[in-house]
Amino acid sequence: MSEITIKIDGREYKTQEGEYILNAARANDVFIPAICYLTRCSPTLACRICLVEADGKQVYACNAKVKEGMEVTVSTPNILKERRAIMEVYDVNHPLQCGVCDKSGECELQNYTLEIGVDSQSYSIPDTKRENTNWSSVLHYDAGLCIVCERCTTVCKDMIGDAAIKTGARGGEKLSKEAKDSMPKDAYAMWNKLQKSIIVPSNGTEHTNCSDCGECTAVCPVGALVSRDFVYSSNAWELERVPATCAHCSSGCQIYYEKKHTSIANPDEKIYRVTNEWNFVSLCGAGRFGYDFQNDVEGKDVEAFEQAINAFKKADTIKFNSAITNEEAFMLQLLKEKLGVKLINHDAKAFKDFLDSYSKASGSSLYGSDFREVMKSDFVISVGASLRNDNPNARYAFNNVQKMNKGAGLYFHPVGDMLVPTFGKSVEVFNHKVGQEEAVLYLILDLFGDKDKLPVQTKDYLASFHKTVKKTIKEKVMESVTSTVVDKETGESKEVTKKVPKMVDKEVEVDENGLVSILGGSDNFAETFEKMMKKKENFSLIIGEDLYFHPRARNLSRLVALIEDVCDMNLVMIPPRTNSLGVAMICNLDEEESGYIVGYNEHGHFRLGARGFSKLDIPALNQQEGTFVTMNKVVVPTNPALEYKGYELNDILNEFDIGLDETIDFTPKLARFDGFKDIEFDDLPNGYTNTGKENRGYIIDNISVEKQAVSVVEFNDSIVLEGEIAYRCNPQRQFNDFTDKSHQINEEFALYVSPSKAQTLEEEVEVEFDKDTTLKLKVVVDDRIDGDIVLVPDFKSHQNIYSIFGKDRYKTVTIKKG
Amino acid sequence: MGLEKFKDRNVGIQQYKVVEHEAFPKSNAQKFARVMKRMVKGELFVGLWVTLRTMYQALFQDDMHTVKYPFEKLPISPRYRAIHEMLRLLESGHYRCIGCGLCEKICISDCIKIDTKYDENQRKEVTEYTINFGRCIFCGYCAEVCPELAIVHGGRYETSSQQRASFSIFEDMLTPIDALSSQKEYPGFGAVSPNADDNIKKTPLAY
Amino acid sequence: MDAIIIETIIKAIIVLSVIAALAGFGTFIERKVLAFMQRRLGPMHVGPFGLLQLAADGIKLFTKEDIIPQHANRLIFMIAPIITAATAFIALAAVPLLPEFTLFGYTVHPIVADLNVGILFILGAMASGLYGPLLAGMAQANKWGIIGSARTAILFMSYEVVTGLSLLAPIMLVGSLSLIDFNNAQSGGIGEWMVWQQPLAFILFLIAGFAETNRTPFDLLEHEAEVVSGYATEYSGMRWGMFFIGEYANMITIGFMASLIFFGGFNDLGFIPGFLAIILKVSFFFFLMLWVRASWPHVRPDQLMWLCWKVLMPIALLNVLITGLVMMV
Ligand code: SF4
Ligand code: SF4
Ligand code: SF4
Ligand code: SF4
Ligand code: SF4
Ligand code: FES
Repeated sequence: MSEITIKIDGREYKTQEGEYILNAARANDVFIPAICYLTRCSPTLACRICLVEADGKQVYACNAKVKEGMEVTVSTPNILKERRAIMEVYDVNHPLQCGVCDKSGECELQNYTLEIGVDSQSYSIPDTKRENTNWSSVLHYDAGLCIVCERCTTVCKDMIGDAAIKTGARGGEKLSKEAKDSMPKDAYAMWNKLQKSIIVPSNGTEHTNCSDCGECTAVCPVGALVSRDFVYSSNAWELERVPATCAHCSSGCQIYYEKKHTSIANPDEKIYRVTNEWNFVSLCGAGRFGYDFQNDVEGKDVEAFEQAINAFKKADTIKFNSAITNEEAFMLQLLKEKLGVKLINHDAKAFKDFLDSYSKASGSSLYGSDFREVMKSDFVISVGASLRNDNPNARYAFNNVQKMNKGAGLYFHPVGDMLVPTFGKSVEVFNHKVGQEEAVLYLILDLFGDKDKLPVQTKDYLASFHKTVKKTIKEKVMESVTSTVVDKETGESKEVTKKVPKMVDKEVEVDENGLVSILGGSDNFAETFEKMMKKKENFSLIIGEDLYFHPRARNLSRLVALIEDVCDMNLVMIPPRTNSLGVAMICNLDEEESGYIVGYNEHGHFRLGARGFSKLDIPALNQQEGTFVTMNKVVVPTNPALEYKGYELNDILNEFDIGLDETIDFTPKLARFDGFKDIEFDDLPNGYTNTGKENRGYIIDNISVEKQAVSVVEFNDSIVLEGEIAYRCNPQRQFNDFTDKSHQINEEFALYVSPSKAQTLEEEVEVEFDKDTTLKLKVVVDDRIDGDIVLVPDFKSHQNIYSIFGKDRYKTVTIKKG
Repeated sequence: MGLEKFKDRNVGIQQYKVVEHEAFPKSNAQKFARVMKRMVKGELFVGLWVTLRTMYQALFQDDMHTVKYPFEKLPISPRYRAIHEMLRLLESGHYRCIGCGLCEKICISDCIKIDTKYDENQRKEVTEYTINFGRCIFCGYCAEVCPELAIVHGGRYETSSQQRASFSIFEDMLTPIDALSSQKEYPGFGAVSPNADDNIKKTPLAY
Repeated sequence: MDAIIIETIIKAIIVLSVIAALAGFGTFIERKVLAFMQRRLGPMHVGPFGLLQLAADGIKLFTKEDIIPQHANRLIFMIAPIITAATAFIALAAVPLLPEFTLFGYTVHPIVADLNVGILFILGAMASGLYGPLLAGMAQANKWGIIGSARTAILFMSYEVVTGLSLLAPIMLVGSLSLIDFNNAQSGGIGEWMVWQQPLAFILFLIAGFAETNRTPFDLLEHEAEVVSGYATEYSGMRWGMFFIGEYANMITIGFMASLIFFGGFNDLGFIPGFLAIILKVSFFFFLMLWVRASWPHVRPDQLMWLCWKVLMPIALLNVLITGLVMMV
């Protein structure tokens, strides 16, 4: 894409070729009214208010692309007339309830009505009764307020991927003939559609049964879609916005905590909701609704603090997880250096080992790409990630590519998923066996690799799977059939020859790829794949947690490096937890825990934690300043939304004379570790520009390391698991103790199974890992799971699930009646 | 339409008298003339007469002006901005406040606080409403901005209190439900102007 | 002799207590009259018509802390109010308050001491009352007090001259300094009242009397708009109350003197018996003082001096002169 120049209202602006006029204008700070368009989603042309004149023709700015030298006029008399009529139509029968409406003050209908200067109404039509409904545990839809801009349905389809809502029939009265004749054209068209529709769940029931991400509530320009918890609880203008970073997964989405006093009687601050720059970042349900996990403590508990100091003095091991900031990780590393303790962190350790081995093979310290690049590609492959559960943004990217870039996708995972195939027509799913991940990577090498670049050995190995087979296919041929027909009238018989189609078997020679069948691919994969590859030029590979927790992780990492090398693919990895990448880069982690264990947000002999059940309280992530490293390899800042009155890790460090004044004084000192920079916390930006460019923190340097000559080895079926298998995987919206604590997130700690599997199980079961380790779990049906593998969550740290699974993510288990 | 009409809130009728002042004497001759005039007029005795007459009128003609304040109270002008009252709807008795928060927003001394919630009837319920009268400056903005004519200034002008800050809660200000029939529409600050109808454009209805 | 002593003591006590009570009552009347003249009600909450306000004020004054300021001259500060009160009552000693009457067969002369130089004594005693405000103002370390006492000095000393001169003419006519003689000289009914012979003297006396009792329009000593409370600025409680009692006692004295010298004293007035007549007359003069206060503004100090030395004193002298000439002819 190249830079071109266009003129808007006579002034010249630079923009990118292929950009929509609206986005070009926005990027240059030119205002064009627009309601229904969402950046990163397809234009729906529902509102038609973005009408502009381009080179003398009226076009929709959200839908028309710029051309070199294009001259755009934002308003002409006719366009102004259309816009005014459109806003008047939106105001027809719109309830006069701004007074109570949650959106008042930030409502786009209010804003545009005033902006366009609607001070009188020319249109009218009898109203239709439209009911308030609750679509799910978090969604509240007030059809009366809905202006059917379809932003909610668009985001749900194009970004989230659920497509859980759609437009449905409103049952409104038909527009009159005069209206058609007398009204401006676009306003009429808009009204005509508006009068016919409202928004309904796509599954035909009353409930969306969706991912409950709440993104639809975020994009709704009016008060029609609001989270149930927020309804009528506060006016928008009363809330103070604290820019922060979501603490739950490695996407590290930029969010705003919006807070004010709890009530008249209670002046303590409370977070009322989380909002986001929905044009540029999409949250998941955990980020949007999991905000009230703060650790409320009365004050400094001196006694517990002394106990903690003693515990650290006698500790052999500090155990923690990656839902911590870089600064905390740094402090733990300093404690290790001072006290000589071991640092144990299961998720970061596995990830770090994988990364280390990968960089030895690839020659760079980090994977080469990020998810912004993935979103731009037109072919995505996901390996080893339960996309729906592991990382919502990876899934949004996978989906968005299908919808926006006419893309294709390959999804490799042992657990069947009902949602992923619906992302697009060109999505192929492989439900391979547990342990076959190496075969998957070989298949990718085989499908996408530049064979000439491959080591001979590997090339031969791949070739060994191919064989040319004779295959009988059915082919349609036209055959002439001659029959004798007796003419009834004349009694004469006549010979008639007709051409009729006939299926015949034909033998052809095809190249059969043994890897496909090993992985359980469909028979005609070759053909499908050919179609998928049409007009594709930008490929991405997403690597997930299954590969880090794998008996043959080392070989996998080398294969990944090899793929990146020979396939010309954007490679990204999903760090298992919020800041696993940061921790992996900062901490010197140990293999085995031993002796006296101090648990930092984890299970241990002495526990410090941000959940109520710890001996010494520490601040939760919405009460701390600090930074995270996101999966996009960016160091992003987060700010405290709520006050914390107790001790923090820095106080403990100060007892050992290695602390600093403030926790964030450690931020610039992170530069000690490769990739980090010496930048003060307060100098880290946290926002987006008008172009959608992420202006947050700084990007980690991808340092080249010495490339070692390593070779990949053949895969081995001996590690394939058979029988009853448990998979360590959280339900959607649950990631850690913090999401668990949030009152709007109610997915329980239970065994998640597919509907078919559920029929073979009791309501409560005992999952036996080995003789001594069993878990008693409730069985919960997730109707988006397919197959027999059962999912065991790990979000409750005191359940110590990581230790049970050890270095694997899959385990064979015995499920007994509970 | 300009804003002048909206701003015309002059509900009282002005009845001021202008006192005529005698010109101050400038020359000595004028001064002398004034001294003479005053001597002849016996102004001192006029003064005595005035006070005596006043006393007579006060005592015997019922012209005593004292209002025995705590027992007797003078009616207060509707434009006076005294302690707020929250009115109810006359038909249903439900409080008028819809919890829109405009008064809270406009309040110049930031002394109004409102708690609201979503109630069983899918309405916005005002669970608590307070004004901190220790801070209120009785500017009347809240009454002016209220779209529901819900918050008004009442006639309770006795605002002294033993506490430095005195809060008033919803019940204190709300018309008691048994006094609903005697609730009066408020004519002062923020009331609908008498010519309100002329100032709005009608919205067409399709019924 | 003993009887005289006992009688005198009894009379002194009665006069002291009755006049002191009347002085208190005077404050009540003053408030009421002023209120009515301004269409107000005056005190009305304590007791019927607010009568017990008196008692309330008395209790207040008695129980209030007796504050003596740090930098005041203690002794003088403490005795100054006593001087005012004492001189006011001493002056009353030579005033025949009522006609003679008989009680249990005993003829009572309602005068504490029938001096033959009664008028001189009264004037002297009242004049020495000057020391009260003068010392009070000087004893306190307060500029308002000093200004107040300076004003006292000039006011009293100046108007003493007018009082003396204005009374000289009637004295010449009667030929006695005893008030009883004055009374008796006018026993022939209204026509014989001194005021008809000496109207000018009466007016001068009245004006000077207002000044000497420190009443509007000459209330410069403690005019709150100018000097806070003048000589009384730092007084509180009963000491301040004594100034008040002194002032009201003086008002009564002046009332008696005007009645006795110019208005026929306690002689019967037609059908009105003498004792009632004098009470009515004194009441009128008391009322006049309040009335004037309600009606007139007060004068400036320079106007006060101008009035005294340039107007009143020459007129008084003239009056004496004319009277003498008339008597000689
Ligand atoms: S959606 Fe907007 S215009 Fe409609 S009631 Fe709410 S705030 Fe008002
Ligand atoms: S619910 Fe909101 S976002 Fe969805 S169509 Fe209606 S107005 Fe638009
Ligand atoms: S909550 Fe998310 S998944 Fe559900 S309807 Fe809204 S956008 Fe779609
Ligand atoms: S009168 Fe003014 S200061 Fe008082 S509550 Fe209303 S807006 Fe606030
Ligand atoms: S402005 Fe009126 S309706 Fe709105 S919250 Fe205040 S009192 Fe209630
Ligand atoms: S924004 Fe372009 S049609 Fe709505």
